[in-house]
Amino acid sequence: MLKRGDKILIASILLFAVAIFTGFQIYGFSGGRTYAVIEVDGRQYQKISLGSDGPKLQLKVPGVQGELILEIDRDRVRVVSADCPDKDCVRQGWASRPGQMLVCLPNRVVVKIESDRSSGELDGVSF
Amino acid sequence: MAGNRKMIYMSLLVACGVALHLVENLIPVPFPVPGAKLGLANIISLLAIALYGTKEGLQVNILRCLIGALMGGSMSSLLYSLSGAVSSTLMMGMAYRYFKNIFSLVGISIIGGVTHNIAQVTVASLVLSTFGLYSYLPFLMVVGLLTGIFTGFAAVFTRDNLAVNLSRLETTGKKEMKP
Repeated sequence: MLKRGDKILIASILLFAVAIFTGFQIYGFSGGRTYAVIEVDGRQYQKISLGSDGPKLQLKVPGVQGELILEIDRDRVRVVSADCPDKDCVRQGWASRPGQMLVCLPNRVVVKIESDRSSGELDGVSF
Repeated sequence: MAGNRKMIYMSLLVACGVALHLVENLIPVPFPVPGAKLGLANIISLLAIALYGTKEGLQVNILRCLIGALMGGSMSSLLYSLSGAVSSTLMMGMAYRYFKNIFSLVGISIIGGVTHNIAQVTVASLVLSTFGLYSYLPFLMVVGLLTGIFTGFAAVFTRDNLAVNLSRLETTGKKEMKP
């Protein structure tokens, strides 16, 4: 029942979709820069620019109770170790997308990933 | 007489379209891509285009969207479905008219499904004023392709059955009229 034109159409739409998808994957859609904003006790402690050209370093952050060691790897951040009993912040792993957050409650340290585009990604859309 | 008959068949198509539209709203969508749905009502617009033409297809589809939104929908869903319906019907009508030899009804249905989704993403990103929604476009195109194949086959089967039954109806009608 399918004609030859149908098959060509299906193949070309699939190709087109894959091309757009890989285009978005390679060039990224947001295009804006992301930053890791480190806050201690509600005040901004440091703001580090992330990205493929971002730094690769370990950072000591003095918390309220003790010290946290953050690791920044180009475009992502994690907590390597912390002076807190529960180590929840370590278990949160890497954060790289705008809106993600690493939180250490006992030390009142928050690491937020922010984007310089004001409206980042949508949470949800209702139809 | 012929005009009345056409009007009745077209209103039957609208009624079927509204029913499919409402049934479709009840089907949960298995994946988290906004705007992805089966597009069952597309069967009806395809049939209207194949049986009557682009203008009639547009009339049936716009009426279907308006009544469907009144019976179960919101202003924003009307906006999305109307934009998708109008653009996909126009594309399908043109494809049916000029490229009938190249594509079967399934291919035309695929064109309609993909156009519908592209139009919806465009309207949604205009309404929400974020073009980040276009990153959903590849997924929506593939979804439109698959649902287009499905609705296309459904339309082919319906048209073939309908053609037989309609001709039978018309001949029996004429026989009864004659004496």
